[in-house]
Amino acid sequence: MKKTWAVMGTAVAVSAMIFTGCGSSNTTTGTDTTQESENTDTAATDTPAAEDSKGGDFSGLISPISREEGSGTRGAFIELFGIETKDTDGNKIDNTTDTAEITNSTSVMMTTVAGNEYAIGYVSLGSLDDSVKALKIDGAEASVDTVKDGSYKISRPFNIVTKDGLSEVAADFVKYIMSKDGQKVVEDNGYISQGNEGAYEAAGLSGKVTVAGSSSVTPVMEKLAESYKKLNADVEIEVQQNDSTTGVTSAIDGICDIGMASRELKDTETSQGVTATPIALDGIAVIVNKQNPVDELTSDQVMSIFTGETQDWADVQ
Amino acid sequence: MEKIKGQLESYKEQPFSLVLRFLMWIATFLTVGITVCIVGYILIRGIPNLSPEMFAWEYNTENVSMMPAIINTVLMVLLVLLIAVPVGIGAAIYLVEYAKRGSKLVKLVRITAETLSGIPSIVYGLFGYLLFATTFRWGYTFLGGALTLAIMILPLILRTTEEALKAVPDSFREGSFGLGAGSLRTIFRIILPSAVPGIVSGVILGIGRVVGETAALMYTAGTIAKVPGLMSSGRTLAVHMYALLSEGLYMKQAYATAVVLLVVVLLINAGSGWIAKKLTKR
Amino acid sequence: MKEAREFIMKCVFILTACVSIAAVVLICIFMFANGIPAIAKIGPLNFLLGEKWKPMNNIFGILPMIVGSIYVTAGAIIIGVPIAFFASVYLAKFCNEKLYKILKPAVELMAGIPSIVYGFFGLVVIVPIMQKLMGGSGKSVLTASILLGIMILPTVIGVAESSIRAVPDSYYEGALALGATRERSVFFAVLPGAKSGILAGVILGIGRAIGETMAVIMVAGNQPVIPGNLAMGVRTLTSNIVMEMGYATDLHREALIATAVVLFVLILIINLCCSALQRRSGQ
Repeated sequence: MKKTWAVMGTAVAVSAMIFTGCGSSNTTTGTDTTQESENTDTAATDTPAAEDSKGGDFSGLISPISREEGSGTRGAFIELFGIETKDTDGNKIDNTTDTAEITNSTSVMMTTVAGNEYAIGYVSLGSLDDSVKALKIDGAEASVDTVKDGSYKISRPFNIVTKDGLSEVAADFVKYIMSKDGQKVVEDNGYISQGNEGAYEAAGLSGKVTVAGSSSVTPVMEKLAESYKKLNADVEIEVQQNDSTTGVTSAIDGICDIGMASRELKDTETSQGVTATPIALDGIAVIVNKQNPVDELTSDQVMSIFTGETQDWADVQ
Repeated sequence: MEKIKGQLESYKEQPFSLVLRFLMWIATFLTVGITVCIVGYILIRGIPNLSPEMFAWEYNTENVSMMPAIINTVLMVLLVLLIAVPVGIGAAIYLVEYAKRGSKLVKLVRITAETLSGIPSIVYGLFGYLLFATTFRWGYTFLGGALTLAIMILPLILRTTEEALKAVPDSFREGSFGLGAGSLRTIFRIILPSAVPGIVSGVILGIGRVVGETAALMYTAGTIAKVPGLMSSGRTLAVHMYALLSEGLYMKQAYATAVVLLVVVLLINAGSGWIAKKLTKR
Repeated sequence: MKEAREFIMKCVFILTACVSIAAVVLICIFMFANGIPAIAKIGPLNFLLGEKWKPMNNIFGILPMIVGSIYVTAGAIIIGVPIAFFASVYLAKFCNEKLYKILKPAVELMAGIPSIVYGFFGLVVIVPIMQKLMGGSGKSVLTASILLGIMILPTVIGVAESSIRAVPDSYYEGALALGATRERSVFFAVLPGAKSGILAGVILGIGRAIGETMAVIMVAGNQPVIPGNLAMGVRTLTSNIVMEMGYATDLHREALIATAVVLFVLILIINLCCSALQRRSGQ
C-alpha cells in the first residue's frame, strides 16, 4: 500500500519536473513567440543584448527559411529579388539554396523566426504581426502605403478565377469585390486595392456562390463574403480554403463558381477557358527575429542570403 | 520510506533485476511525463483564449466559432463508425467463426487488412480525392471524407474484434450449440456480448484516429466551416485547427481549439470506457 | 427459413470480409494509375535515385526524401521502442490497479492527441531546446526522430501491453516457483511468449512513424537534400506530398502522386518483410 503512494508520489514529482521544465521553456519562447504584443514589445526593448549588439557585432550562421516550391509567395519572392534566373534556353531556374528550411505554412514560418535569433524568412504583409520584425528593403518600409506608391517593390497579386457563363449571383459578388465598398474591405485588412469600379448597390438577388482556392486569399475573401452578406441577406457564400491550383482546377471543372489564386495563371490553365482578375495586391515582408539588430537589407543582400552566398549575419551589417 | 529501503535492499543480490525495474520506472515516468507536458502546454496556451463567442452557432471571421467544427466532428465520428463497425465486425466474425483454418480468403483478408493499417493517412487522402472528388465528380464531400476514414479505421476494428472473438472460450460455443442454438444465435447472443470490451477498445482507437485526422480529410471533406449535408463540404475540429494555423492570423483561436479537441478526446475515452463497462455487466 | 437466414448472413459476413481486399485493390489501382505514368515520364531511375528535387525546373529526384523517411523512422524506433517496451511491461505486469487507472488513461489520451498538436508542441518546445543543445536552427533529423518517437509510444504500448497480458499466467508462476525474481520471470519467461505481439506493435509504430505528416512537417526543416548528420534538416516523403500538393500542376502534381506510390510500396515491403519474419519465428 505504502509502495503505491511512494510510486505515485515519484511519478507526480517527476512529471512535475518535466512539466515545469517545459513550462519554463514555454515562457522563454513565450516572450518572443506569443502574439500578445505588450509582452513582446517590452521583451524587445528590455533586452539589453539587443541594444548592445546594435553596434554591428551580431554574428552567427544565417538560417534562411523559404516557402515550398510552387507557392505563390515563394514565386513572387524569388522573382522580385532576382533569386530566380533564366538559363540560356530561357528556362527559369530557382537558385534558392538547398540548405534553406522549407515550410508550407505562414504560422510555422513566423513561429520559427520568432524562436530563432538567426532566422530570416518572408510572409504575406496581411499576416504580419508583432512576434517578428519586418525589415526595410532598399530603405523602404514594408507597409500598405509603400507598396501602393511603389517604393516597396515586393508584392504579388491575389487573383480570382472565373469561367464564362458565371451565374448571376456570382457575377454580382465579383462586382461587389471590385466595387469601392469591396475594395475598402481589401484595404482594411492590410492588402492593397486593385481597381475601383464605383459604388456597389445590392441587386436583391438570392442564391449560393461557392469560392475555393488559395489559403492566402481565403482570409480576405471571408471578410468580403461577410460584408457582402450584410447587403444581400439571401445570398449564401461558401469559402473553401485549400490552395491555388485546386482553386483554378475547381473553377475550370465547375466545382466552384469562383477560384482564388495567389499566383499568376499558367498557360495550360488559361487555355481551358478561365480568366484571372486581380482583386488585391499583397506585399511580402522579409522578417527576422526581434533580437536581431539588423533593421534593413538591400535586395542584393537578401538575394545572396537566400542563394546561400552570404552565410553569416556579420557580413550584412 | 523504510519500506522502499527494504525493497531496494532485497534487490542487492539481484542487480540485474534492479536495473530492469529502474528502466521500467523511467520509461513509464517518461511516457506519463510527456503526456502531462503536452496536455499542460495545450491548457496553458489555450484556456486563456477560450471565450464564449467561439461557441456561437455560425462561423464568421469575427467570432471564429468552432461550434460547426465540433458538430461536424461528432457527425463524422458517427458516420464513420456507422460504416466501419458493421463491416469490421462482420469480417471478423467471418474470419473467426466461419472460415476454415488456413483458407486462402482468410490469408488474403489478413494481408490486406495489415496493408490497410500501414497506409499513411496522406495516401488515404490522395486516394479519397482521386476516387470520390475527381472520379465520382463529387467534389469535396462529407460522405467522401467519411468513406475514406472508414476504410482507414476498418483494419483497427477488424483486428481488435478478431482478437476479442478468439479470446471467447470454445466452451461457450459448444455449450450454445449443445443447447440447440444455430450458429447465428450463438454468435449474436453468446459470442459477441462477451467480446464487447475488446470491440469497444478497437472502436475507441478508431474514434481517436477520426478525431485527430487532418491529412486525409483535407483532400476529401474540404474545409468549409459549416455543418454540411452529406454531399457538401465541412471541416472537423482538427481540420479547423489546421486551417486556423495555416495563415497565422488566428493563433489564439487555434490554441483554444486544441483545448476543446483535447476535451473531446477525453470525453470519448471516458464515455467508451463507461459503455464497455455497462455492456459487460449486462 | 432458418437455414436460409443462416446462409444469407454467412454471405453477408463473407462480403464484409472482402471489403478490405476490395479497398486495397481500389487504392492500388488509383494510386498506380495516377502515379506510374509520371514515373515512366521522368524515368524510374531518375525518379528514385535522383538527388535533386527542383520541380519548377522539371527535375524530380526523390532519393533525399526516401533516405529522409528512413532516417527519421529509424530514429523514432530507436528512441520510442525501448521506452514503449519497458513502459508496456510495467503496465502489464508490475503496476498495481490504482496506478494503472491513472497510467492507462494517460496513454490513451496520448493516442488521441491530434498530430498537428504534437507538431506545434514540437515546434515551440522541442525545437528551441534542440537549438540550444545542438546549435543551428533546431529543426533536424534528431528533432523529428524525438517527436515521432513520442508519437509512436501509445501505439506500441497499447499493442505490446495487450500481448503481454495474453501470455498465460502459468509461465510467470512457473518461473517464480523456480526461484527467479519477478523481473527475471517476466523478462525471460513471459516476454518470449509475447514476442510476436510486441513485434506487431513495433511494425504498427513503424507504419505510424513513416506515414506521419502534419507533425514532421513542422519540425524537420524540410530541405530536399540528403542529411549529412543528425543536426541537419530533412524532408520525408509525406511532407514532400503535403507541402507541394497545393500548388502543383501538371507533371509536378503527378510526380507527387508518384511519391505517394513510392511511400505505399515502401510500406508494402515493410509489411511483407515483417509478416515473413513472423511466419518464420512462428514455425
